[in-house]
Amino acid sequence: MDNEQKPHGIVLTEAQQKSRRRRSIAIALALGVLVVLFFAVTMVKGPAVLVRPM
Amino acid sequence: MSVIDHNAIELSPRISEADVGDYIALLKPRVMSLVIFTALVGLVIAPGHVHPVLAFTSILCIAVGAGASGALNMWYESDIDALMSRTANRPIPRGRITRPEALAFGMTLAFFSVMTLGILVNWMAGGLLAFTIFFYVVIYTMALKRWTAQNIVIGGAAGALPPVVAWSAATGSLSVEPLLLFLIIFFWTPPHFWALALFRSDDYARAGVPMLPVIAGPDATRLQILLYTVVLVAVAFAPWPLGYFDAVYGVTSMVLGAGMLALAINVYRRREGRAALRATRKLFAFSIVYLFALFATLLLEVVVHAVAPSIW
Repeated sequence: MDNEQKPHGIVLTEAQQKSRRRRSIAIALALGVLVVLFFAVTMVKGPAVLVRPM
Repeated sequence: MSVIDHNAIELSPRISEADVGDYIALLKPRVMSLVIFTALVGLVIAPGHVHPVLAFTSILCIAVGAGASGALNMWYESDIDALMSRTANRPIPRGRITRPEALAFGMTLAFFSVMTLGILVNWMAGGLLAFTIFFYVVIYTMALKRWTAQNIVIGGAAGALPPVVAWSAATGSLSVEPLLLFLIIFFWTPPHFWALALFRSDDYARAGVPMLPVIAGPDATRLQILLYTVVLVAVAFAPWPLGYFDAVYGVTSMVLGAGMLALAINVYRRREGRAALRATRKLFAFSIVYLFALFATLLLEVVVHAVAPSIW
């Protein structure tokens, strides 16, 4: 029974959990900005978005 | 048969407690703000109309690219950062972020900034941004900084490129005007950084970085500061008589240049004690105002022209 209650793997401290959560939120926001950016530019350029001059 | 006895070795992996603020510090926000400002000027003075969304995208990518350069610079220089009081508080020397984490962060941002600028705006701007990051990280940070006292002279090209990238983002080409902006920042860099190096020379000597005051001594550095300031003032003034920027810019450049030159002469003449330190600090502080005001004049010119063409 004792063995079953013992936590397996790495147990994060409260500070580690909080910082990981904040980092995750920051990554999610950055990805969100990227998605919005690509969407907005596609809307702005319209069909010209497929024209790729070097 | 088990080769590794898992009971005998208890691995304790490092769990990061790095906060978002530590990662923002890796981006060198103060340097980034100057990059954003100079890039904005390059974008705004470019001919033709740029859609606000594309303008925002360009500035964002240039800013993120600059941040990536900062992170990769901190990754490579963490050993000397730990030895200098100015940089000992950076996230890697403080133990907040590991070197591999900084490397991964910097490379990711570099990749996304270049690809996004290339795909969404144009590949000339994307290529120039990639070159800027490469020049700052590989040429300046890895090759020049620990090798030659001319490190910041040649390396200054990386800091001078953002308005050129922004111009090419707006126009898809290059012209004389962005190269003039490039030259202004290029010749501004030595007096600015050598002024800093003069009052931080102990730091650089401790870290073994061959900055000019460490290698050639403070007096030779003072002379170099004066010479580069003379060139800077001339280069910054030239666009007016050459007909690229107008009279308001010319007069502003002349007044600011006179101030810059007076402070550089002061640094050259005052070589001992607190007066020398004060003179160096004044030049360092004014050099930031000088560059900001010069570029702000160009920005204002365009804004006033757009809002009320008869005034300017």
